[in-house]
Amino acid sequence: MAIPLYGFLKGDTMGLVILGDEHESVRAVAAKLQQAASVRVPITDPISVFYKGQPVDLRLTLTQAGFEPLERFDVVPGEDE
Amino acid sequence: MLKRDEWLPLARKLDWNYSYVQEKDVFPEEMSGSPWLSHEEWKEWDEPYRTSYREYVTLQHEKDAAVIAVRDAVGRVEDFKKLSAPWVNALKFYSATFPLAEFAAVVGNLRAGRFGRDSAWRTMSTFGALDEFRHTQIPLLLMHDLIRWDKQFDWTHKFYHTNNWVAIAARHLTDELLLAANPIEFAIGTNFVFETGFTNLQFVGLSSLSHLVGDRMFEKMITSIQTDEARHAQIGRPVLATVLKHDPEYAQYLLDKWFWRSWLFFSVLTGFSMDYLTPLAQRPCSFKEFMEEWIVKQYLGTLEEFGMKKPWYWDIFLKSLDSYHHMVYASAYTHRATVWFDMVVPGPEERAWLRRKYPAYWDQLDPVWERITERWENGDAGVEWNTHGATPVGFCNLCQLVLCGGTPTQNTANTLDYNGCKYIFCSEPCRWIFMKEPERYASHKDVVQRILTGEAPANLLELTRKYFNLTQDVWGKDVYGGEYPWLKRKSTVQ
Repeated sequence: MAIPLYGFLKGDTMGLVILGDEHESVRAVAAKLQQAASVRVPITDPISVFYKGQPVDLRLTLTQAGFEPLERFDVVPGEDE
Repeated sequence: MLKRDEWLPLARKLDWNYSYVQEKDVFPEEMSGSPWLSHEEWKEWDEPYRTSYREYVTLQHEKDAAVIAVRDAVGRVEDFKKLSAPWVNALKFYSATFPLAEFAAVVGNLRAGRFGRDSAWRTMSTFGALDEFRHTQIPLLLMHDLIRWDKQFDWTHKFYHTNNWVAIAARHLTDELLLAANPIEFAIGTNFVFETGFTNLQFVGLSSLSHLVGDRMFEKMITSIQTDEARHAQIGRPVLATVLKHDPEYAQYLLDKWFWRSWLFFSVLTGFSMDYLTPLAQRPCSFKEFMEEWIVKQYLGTLEEFGMKKPWYWDIFLKSLDSYHHMVYASAYTHRATVWFDMVVPGPEERAWLRRKYPAYWDQLDPVWERITERWENGDAGVEWNTHGATPVGFCNLCQLVLCGGTPTQNTANTLDYNGCKYIFCSEPCRWIFMKEPERYASHKDVVQRILTGEAPANLLELTRKYFNLTQDVWGKDVYGGEYPWLKRKSTVQ
């Protein structure tokens, strides 16, 4: 099932709509955001992901991590959790 | 024969006590607005201009003749061709958002012309409606001459009839503020906040800017329009004074709501023009300096005069002076095909100027322009998509503008669960306004919701073509096709 999310990459100027899949990893969805924002912000590694203010394990799927449709997630350059 | 000063009060102040119907039947609250007060509370309504119809017609005729004369002298296509290309694109942006918004204000004024609570108010509103007709027609006339030269000027008329994302945002504002507002909310929201607070002074600033860039036609148009604005904006003050006496909390709410909404719209429109699309050598000041000098100082002075409080979000607003329009401009530049005007990349000198003028957050914004510049350097001139985004962006469910609140390191977008639906807002003030009147805003679909319900395509190119009504020959590009003298292009393609 598709899960549309609002992605915010630290260093970017706006929020983007990122379409994830419930079985997709958080890392993969974060990579989509970085790619979508790459015209304004270079892609970096490692990264951290935050959802509802809390750090998220990149290995989890969106469902496992509790990502809800049309919620905000943040990608921040820096060490993975 | 009575002298002017003898008959004018009789003509202006022509109210009476109703014998056959109730006052509330003539002026129902749902049409006239809240708080509903008897005419006794409104009878002192007054404004300083006190124009008669004969004077109005004579003066407006002279103004129109002057605008046409300037158009004949310096308003032809050949004259616009001499202007700097970025400035011409500021005109395309401005002229699209302007005339049909003015037409919406015709309707708002006409409503007040019937349902305003004092006869002098109704008279001024009728003149206001005639003013707004003029403000609709003048830009439509002037820009129509330019369509054969540049099709993007066709958006002067077309804009409000499209589902372009900027038009969705503009309609969301103007439909509520100008088209549908009852006379009380119109007087406070439009005349007092939007006009007295923003547009009247914006016209002063823009006409001065036009003079500096050598655009005599736009300068004349704006100056002429501003003289009307200065008059009908006076409707707001006496209405605010009366509402403040009877319902101070509501008066404060109207001010705070419309200041924030006007600010966002104004920031994008005027911020783009002043800080990016005016050639550097002709910028007399930054947009922030203009706001601080003309808008902020004046508005705070007026609040003090009325004994009212600053909006609760004032600190958020002050911070946004340093960042908001920059966030939107960079975002829009990398999605420029979704608009009908072309945009420029600020070069090293422009970026140095922006750094001096906006020291608070420019360190966070400059890397974005560094990246865009690098992408142009590694690509070929004319290849727009190398510096263009390919995914849909997020929009605020209140203001309908892109989620650009805050700064690159701290975007202020926030979500809300309301009645089983998810909403996102660019800022706390937008969320606050939504929660104050959710029944008004909750069912409006933003661009993302239209995509998710299948009403609009998800693919950005299809969205731009089929939903935003832009074709390749009209959609926005880099003004110079990525060919800047300061760019160190690395492409080896000959």
